[in-house]
Amino acid sequence: MAKLVTEMLKGTLEGIVLALLAGRPAYGYEITAWLREQGFSDIAEGTVYALLIRIEQRHLVDVEKIPSEKGPPRKVYSLNAQGRDYLEEFWRTWNFLRERLEQLREGGR
Amino acid sequence: MATGWRKLLETIVGPLDQKRRYRQYKARVERLPASYHTAIDALQRYSYYFGHGTTDGGLRMLEDLADLFEQGAANGTPVREIVGEDPVEFADEFLRNYPEGQWISRERDRLTSAMDRAVRENSGSEGTSR
Repeated sequence: MAKLVTEMLKGTLEGIVLALLAGRPAYGYEITAWLREQGFSDIAEGTVYALLIRIEQRHLVDVEKIPSEKGPPRKVYSLNAQGRDYLEEFWRTWNFLRERLEQLREGGR
Repeated sequence: MATGWRKLLETIVGPLDQKRRYRQYKARVERLPASYHTAIDALQRYSYYFGHGTTDGGLRMLEDLADLFEQGAANGTPVREIVGEDPVEFADEFLRNYPEGQWISRERDRLTSAMDRAVRENSGSEGTSR
């Protein structure tokens, strides 16, 4: 079960994080904590961090460094216009996939 | 004059700026608590296998790793929660963000263009196979 969730999450984590950032800007630790609260308890902080670096490189988010009381400055990520377009595409693809899977489950074609 | 001298020196010992960045990275690692230090050393060792060493991509990778572990140490996040149950998966995913200079990137490009060539050869000899 846990393994299956991890596998399925791989393809969708990007969309999940972008959808979260569409709501409000957040930093890495907050994003991981939120995912854990939502039941994705096996998610590694490093995996989320690698994803954040990737979406930054692809210019889907804007990044601002905010000084922190404890430790190094935090990078706060917010969704930009390009990220919003990408998120829309993610939801369209998700709907397509969901519909096909529902049809399969109902035994249709 | 000074730049000429520096240029000469760099051809002998390699880019000074990259050496400085590497030393800074090492100093940051030294300041981490033991458990984080051990984890980051292991990841650095694994990254050598991908072979981009102290190129700009390799250095950015190390600096991003240091950011991750410093943040983790500051928040008190245990190493297991940073690297996950499968550290190899995390490491591979992380390393994919720094393709510049990795030998595996060159091999991936080589595979892609070899397949393009194979496809062209096939379309050229269509109907005359065997």
